[in-house]
Amino acid sequence: MDTITTKMSREEIFDLMKKFITEVIGEEFVEEMDISPESSFTKDLEMDSIEIVSFSEKIKAHFGEQIDFTGWLSAMDLDQLINLNLGMIISYIEECQS
Amino acid sequence: MSKFLFVVPPFFGHISPTLSIGASLLARGHEVKWLGITPLAQTHLPEGGEFIYPEADLAEYQDEIQRILKRQDDGPACSGPEVMKLALEETYVPFAKMMMKGLNNFVDRWQPDVIINDCITFAGALCAHLKGIPSVTTTPVPPDVMGDTANSAPKIFEWQQNLIKGLQREVGIYSDDIHIHSHQLNMVFTSQTFAGFEEKPPQMHFVGPVKGRPNLAPFDWERLKQVTTPKIFVSLGTLLVDIRAAFFQKLITAFENQPVTIVAATNPDIFEKWPDNFIVNGFVPQSELMPHMNAVICHGGFNTVNDTFTNGLPMLITPIAYDHFHTAKLIEQAGCGISIRYKRLRTDELRTTVFELLENPKYREAAQKIRQTFIDAGGNDKAVQLLEDFAKTTRLETV
Repeated sequence: MDTITTKMSREEIFDLMKKFITEVIGEEFVEEMDISPESSFTKDLEMDSIEIVSFSEKIKAHFGEQIDFTGWLSAMDLDQLINLNLGMIISYIEECQS
Repeated sequence: MSKFLFVVPPFFGHISPTLSIGASLLARGHEVKWLGITPLAQTHLPEGGEFIYPEADLAEYQDEIQRILKRQDDGPACSGPEVMKLALEETYVPFAKMMMKGLNNFVDRWQPDVIINDCITFAGALCAHLKGIPSVTTTPVPPDVMGDTANSAPKIFEWQQNLIKGLQREVGIYSDDIHIHSHQLNMVFTSQTFAGFEEKPPQMHFVGPVKGRPNLAPFDWERLKQVTTPKIFVSLGTLLVDIRAAFFQKLITAFENQPVTIVAATNPDIFEKWPDNFIVNGFVPQSELMPHMNAVICHGGFNTVNDTFTNGLPMLITPIAYDHFHTAKLIEQAGCGISIRYKRLRTDELRTTVFELLENPKYREAAQKIRQTFIDAGGNDKAVQLLEDFAKTTRLETV
């Protein structure tokens, strides 16, 4: 894996996340969705646990040890999980980079 | 002879295996009754069994019960974490509270030797604990659906524990231990191999699928006999009413004019006309039908899953909500079927997957292996033996 040397902007992280989501749930289903930072993971993107796991694996493969996405998720309570949206993930990745 | 009381939820998939074991217990001369929060038609009960619906003690909760039952229709549209809340916080715990009064009153009157609670019907085990009556738990689905939350999601584990301890305190159990399930005997209606358990807690016994509950649904066997193409059984179970039409529309698009016959258990009223290669009935004698089938499509309701692998058939599972995803994972692990999530199901993929299941023998071979683990688990005979031994041992202990 390439090491990330330059810090990514919010827009770049958003595009990358969108790419991962498309790979996980399939292009034709993404076309029907209007993915934005407000998109909720469970409600809007309708990702199930298996899809979230493969999404996490993509984040891990890209960022390496720098970002513990699974650990971050597992510390959440139910309401936090229900309300989790793409913007929160972007902010988390942004914080990890700084 | 002993008196057994089954405490059941208003969900037929959970009641069904208790009716089968109950039939075997009655045949052995035991007294068997069921108690639930909604009435159950007498036709479902094995001869000699009685269903207790404590109407007067439930009167004050009628609106709330109906509201919670209606709320279950939202399940398919809910995400995983929302379903956890819907199930435990909005359904199981409130139902347990509402059932306690009627259950306590009936138990005082009838004095059962053993209370058998379904795994989501906590009132049974709580009542048994309060009154010092031996209790057994029945688990129709592979356990461990939520995974190891204590380690993987500590806040979710804490939420579960708090809800259950809150319920226990409300019914008068002030203990830090959890008493919603039996600590002595928990019978699971699948095999240990299929459930994916390398080790199991000592009280857990995998008895495999059980059968024998009355099912008087008629069926046009003559029509089935004339069928020459591979037969695919399709079931959505008894819940999930709202998505029925959408699901069967996909099936029609995928299999109309294809060299297969679809035998579907659903209310035919959802469409005016069905294709000629579809045999559709609201209720079917599922266990009798299954040996005539070549493959099965279902969302993962556990009684259909058991009937499928009892007959060594390959399955396309289209998980929608609840524990379906866990079951789908187990099926893919065992290699006896293919999982396509309902929300990501395309008709072309639906068609090619079914033909793959029919034509590639590896799925059927894996299904046959699961079938053998089911047979080895012992079924009704094993369940009855466990219950009789349990009743005998606990009686000796109380003398």
